[in-house]
Amino acid sequence: MIKAIPLFFFGLFPFISSFGQKDSVSKDKMMEEVIVTSNRTPTKLGNIAVPVQTISQKTIKQIGSQRLKDILQEQAGLYITNGFGAGVQMQGLNPDYTLILINGEPLVGRTAGVLDINRISIGNIKKIEIVKGPSSSLYGSEAMAGVINIITDNASHKEVEAGIRYGFGNPDKGWSWPAGINAFKNTDLHFKVQNKIGKTGVIISSDAFYIDGLSYRPYSTLRVPQPIWRLTQQLTLNHEINAKANVSLVARCGYDHIKQEFAVTNNGGVSNSYGREANTDINIIPSFNYSFNKNTNTSFKLYHTFYNGSQKLYFSDKPDSIYDDEFKQKLYRLENQTDKVWKNMKLTAGIGITLDQANSTRYDNVSRTKKNTITYGFAQHEWRISKNFLAIGGIRYDHNQLFAAAFSPKIALRYDLSQKLSWIGSIGRGFKAPDFRQLYLNFTNNAAGGYSVLGSIDAVSVITQMQHNGLIADIKDDFYKLSTLTPEFSTGINTGIKYKIDKNWNMEINVFRNDIEGLIDVRQVATKTNGAQIFSYINIRKAFTQGAECNINGAISQNLKISAGYQFLSTADKDELALVKSGKVYTRNSDGTSRLLTLKEYAGLPNRSKHMANLKFTYENQNGFYTTARCIYRSRWYVADSDGNGLYNTNDESAEGFLLFNFSVGKEFKKHWTLYGGMDNISNHQDANYLPNLQGRMIYTGINYKF
Amino acid sequence: MKKIAIFFSAATIISFAACKKNDTPVVNADPRAFGVSVNGSIVTVKNLPADTIVGIGAMGPYGVGKYTFFSLGANGLVASTDSASSNWDMAFAGTTVRVNCGTSGPGNGGAFVFNGTFEGLASVPSDSTFKTDNAPAAYAIPKGSGKGWYTYDGPNNLVTATPGKVLVIRTANGKYAKVEILNYYRGGVTPSTTATDSIKSFDSRYYTFRYTYQGNGTTTF
Repeated sequence: MIKAIPLFFFGLFPFISSFGQKDSVSKDKMMEEVIVTSNRTPTKLGNIAVPVQTISQKTIKQIGSQRLKDILQEQAGLYITNGFGAGVQMQGLNPDYTLILINGEPLVGRTAGVLDINRISIGNIKKIEIVKGPSSSLYGSEAMAGVINIITDNASHKEVEAGIRYGFGNPDKGWSWPAGINAFKNTDLHFKVQNKIGKTGVIISSDAFYIDGLSYRPYSTLRVPQPIWRLTQQLTLNHEINAKANVSLVARCGYDHIKQEFAVTNNGGVSNSYGREANTDINIIPSFNYSFNKNTNTSFKLYHTFYNGSQKLYFSDKPDSIYDDEFKQKLYRLENQTDKVWKNMKLTAGIGITLDQANSTRYDNVSRTKKNTITYGFAQHEWRISKNFLAIGGIRYDHNQLFAAAFSPKIALRYDLSQKLSWIGSIGRGFKAPDFRQLYLNFTNNAAGGYSVLGSIDAVSVITQMQHNGLIADIKDDFYKLSTLTPEFSTGINTGIKYKIDKNWNMEINVFRNDIEGLIDVRQVATKTNGAQIFSYINIRKAFTQGAECNINGAISQNLKISAGYQFLSTADKDELALVKSGKVYTRNSDGTSRLLTLKEYAGLPNRSKHMANLKFTYENQNGFYTTARCIYRSRWYVADSDGNGLYNTNDESAEGFLLFNFSVGKEFKKHWTLYGGMDNISNHQDANYLPNLQGRMIYTGINYKF
Repeated sequence: MKKIAIFFSAATIISFAACKKNDTPVVNADPRAFGVSVNGSIVTVKNLPADTIVGIGAMGPYGVGKYTFFSLGANGLVASTDSASSNWDMAFAGTTVRVNCGTSGPGNGGAFVFNGTFEGLASVPSDSTFKTDNAPAAYAIPKGSGKGWYTYDGPNNLVTATPGKVLVIRTANGKYAKVEILNYYRGGVTPSTTATDSIKSFDSRYYTFRYTYQGNGTTTF
């Protein structure tokens, strides 16, 4: 049944498009949407030549959630990964390769490359823009798969908004009221005050979220999700100095407290431990914007972000701390960007300097603070060659203190074949600089067999020293490949069509391919005399991800809207693929005997689904009533190389595909109030091993007051 | 085709000699018990214990440190008191596999690891070099993940028999055999990555393997 889903989505396309054509009466008064992320400057949708998705404030509200994760997982082609928090996988690339911005500035504090989007509440979000394909030509490192920009509101009028949302679930007992250890509840309180006094606007918003723990993973007392407190405060100030100049300040502070209580297995022995994880995340963006005239604009930004994550665990039977881990990151950035518009051209250029500093108990003991300075410059030129033809070229140069420089060009073209049909195509280079962890990590996991991971800079000297002390049993071939890490580079091609079927129906198709070189891989480089493995990082792998994405939006009637998305994905490690093709890789039959692996069985990169789809119906009327019904599908993905042949194939351990159904409903009443509620994961799908963060069926209700 | 099946329960492993006298095949359906079954030229050995885990200490899980000896010619276990004889061909303890030669025993054994399938290996290639055990520096079947017969996944703490590896054995008496190790866990099934460390430890060190023994002294299987 699961396999039939993508076909179902495909089968729906002709149906909905013909259905839509019958009804073209609804009015389309919408102003043309403006996108800020794709060109780093406000650009009308008609001048965009790369694949872009936007999520409006209204869409966010109608989903009835206060967490960014819930919104993003319903977007075609985005998958929310589990492990080190919730990361975003885009175009089949790991969460490490998607840049996440708040008002155009990056969030920091990644764990194992993953930026946990659970950290972000959506109380004050005006809009989310998602740009797919490499955008390093504008944003530098990490913008390899794409960019997600969270844009917060500016004060425009006087308003007070407050709300409470309460949700609960009981995955074991289905429908009954929560009771016992496996019931869990979550509560969200939020308020927002905004005012505009003369030329000064101010918004203060605040969000507090609490979720109970839940334990349904077999053999584990670890509660997933763990009991979490999340607090977010945000202040936005903007002041118009005169007609030409304005200043603004956005300050955001997020705080998480995660209570931890679980069994740690140490060499097969089990000890109960308890502790907490706490993360603080601060972003401050003062900016100054000056318009010389209607066509020339310049802005200065001084960005400061600070992330502090710590984890402390204790044995229940021993008072001394067993695990005390701290990670701090600071990033300062000064940047100037100037935009100039001519009749049919627009130039955007900028320069900046970033000071990045990290401190971790997992780095070597000599100096736990590591620094890097990046100086960069970028320019982009947009040229409307003819009425139908638009060309955009951009280039960025990032000079790194610690490793090789990166040079990121990009070209994007758009050709409007008719008023309804446009072709877009782009080719660009993306990169991701090695992070501090990959350079300096010095970590031994005593809680899991004593294996060690060493950053590339010290790995050789540390292992050589250990060898002198007789602690090394065996050196692997990969040890001799250790050298200074270089950035990982990708070349991304995106091409597709935007088709306006009629007033109410739009379709977009995009085909993509990303070729990645020098992918940093964790490899075993040595073995200790006690049998524990030592790993380090090497620029070694070459991989590609390719696929196609299709999105359809439309209105069946004035009140009923539908959107559907589908992504097909195929990935491979190029060396593995070559080995499989040359007949050097074996697998096992179900009876355990070996045979050659066929090309068809090769599954590419792990944790990727071949098919992903989503379907959403939204109904709303003039009386302030709305309801949404959404479904999300993801096909099987591979999680472990269980046949031991060194790569992922269809005989390996995999997680089963799943289908989720969500539903929400809301109604405005007495002008100021909105009462809403809904149910997430209606079919109560659970997969304790591979989707530990997916709660069972959740019912929620909330009320909002706006004055 | 004549089928001979001799099964042993885990409890009777030690009293191996006594069992062998029993001519009636014992049908034992327990998939977790030791057993030897013969199907034509292919002999399958299930759940051969190889210094199985008896406890977990500060340095991790440990066994008693004794090898289990096996005779490819006689299709059965050999008592450890015979370890200094040529009665055994292969010995197992943890992930270490010894052959009866060099530092391991008085036999005329030897071995090497062939890349390919068990069925695909019709005879010992003429240019083959048999290695001998020279403990602790080198073994005929190399020790270590990715070097010999297995792959170790450290973060998940699992040992997997690498597919496409055939152990070509010269027995203690100079005959040839090809051996494919199929699994390292009791019941012949590798635990899932999410299984407990306790299952991963206590179910490990149980070999399932198959082999073809050429008793006429030629190198053809």
